[in-house]
Amino acid sequence: MSKLQAKKREGFTRAALTEIRTAGLFPAVIYGKGVESEPVSVEESEFIKVIREVGRNGLISLDVDGSKHDVILQEYQKDPIKGFIVHADFLAVDRSSEITSQVRVDIEGEAVGSKEGGVIQQPLFELNVTAKVSDFPEHVSVDVSELAIGDSISVGDIRDKYDFTIENEDEDTIVSVLPPQKLEETEEGTEEASETEAEASAEGEKKED
Amino acid sequence: MLLPKRVKYRRVHRGKMRGQAKGGTEIAFGEYGLQAVEASWITNRQIESARVAMTRYMKRGGKVWIKIFPHKPYTKKPLEVRMGSGKGAPEGWVAVVKPGKIMFEIAGVPEDVAREALRLAAHKLPIKCKIVKREEIGGESNES
Repeated sequence: MSKLQAKKREGFTRAALTEIRTAGLFPAVIYGKGVESEPVSVEESEFIKVIREVGRNGLISLDVDGSKHDVILQEYQKDPIKGFIVHADFLAVDRSSEITSQVRVDIEGEAVGSKEGGVIQQPLFELNVTAKVSDFPEHVSVDVSELAIGDSISVGDIRDKYDFTIENEDEDTIVSVLPPQKLEETEEGTEEASETEAEASAEGEKKED
Repeated sequence: MLLPKRVKYRRVHRGKMRGQAKGGTEIAFGEYGLQAVEASWITNRQIESARVAMTRYMKRGGKVWIKIFPHKPYTKKPLEVRMGSGKGAPEGWVAVVKPGKIMFEIAGVPEDVAREALRLAAHKLPIKCKIVKREEIGGESNES
């Protein structure tokens, strides 16, 4: 289990948070059963190293000024443009307890259908999984090598292959192979028609007013 | 081209484009996306042009999602008309895009094809864009 250092956080103003972020840290919070909610700050580069090591749902030993907690990363917010971490939630957990979290779906192999020109579509990129904290999976592998055009794999097909519980519905499609798309060319005529239609409806509304 | 089926008001105020995008900042459907780095109006013609550029390059493979919609009408006064006498006539439709918004998403094609298709699409838009890839925290750098 990887270790991560955190410091107790005292300033709660926006200025204090900005100061934390400019110093290369990010604000976070620890909470969980039997743990008092506590605001902390964590160094971003160290945190990224630890997450690369243990995975998104891995167990981390968080050291907050001497007191240690076993935590997992519950949630995090990222700046959409610059990509730095704005805030994170750590959930304090008991190693023997079960938790439910989202796990990445990894597709393995090349589908027979895609060799024939089909397009692999993956509507579900994450599965809700319930498992013990100590053996929580990092990812769920789905083998697509036998899928032909028109075939699909749903949650019900893979549920029995793993020893953890998948919370999604049986009918939820994870991956499917679609027939090749035709090149869409816009037709001038239809566009013109739809434009005049919208204009007309807008005018109609105006008259009603 | 994209445009609303009906609208409540034909003419709307221009508004401001302050701050960053509030939602739609993460890749939701596909594997690769085109993210806006600046704020601008994107017209329905530009959206269509970008879509055509992408689908042409990808030929028959893959799937494209357009995640912006031109809800806003913009108006223009005729040429050589003095100011006043009311607002101009509706001229077209635009989507208000703020920094961080993922405008297009692509899936079902190899990475090099997706990146080239998105690059071509970015050239059809009036703003600086960034190509982003779906990834988990701690993944490789997303910059491009």
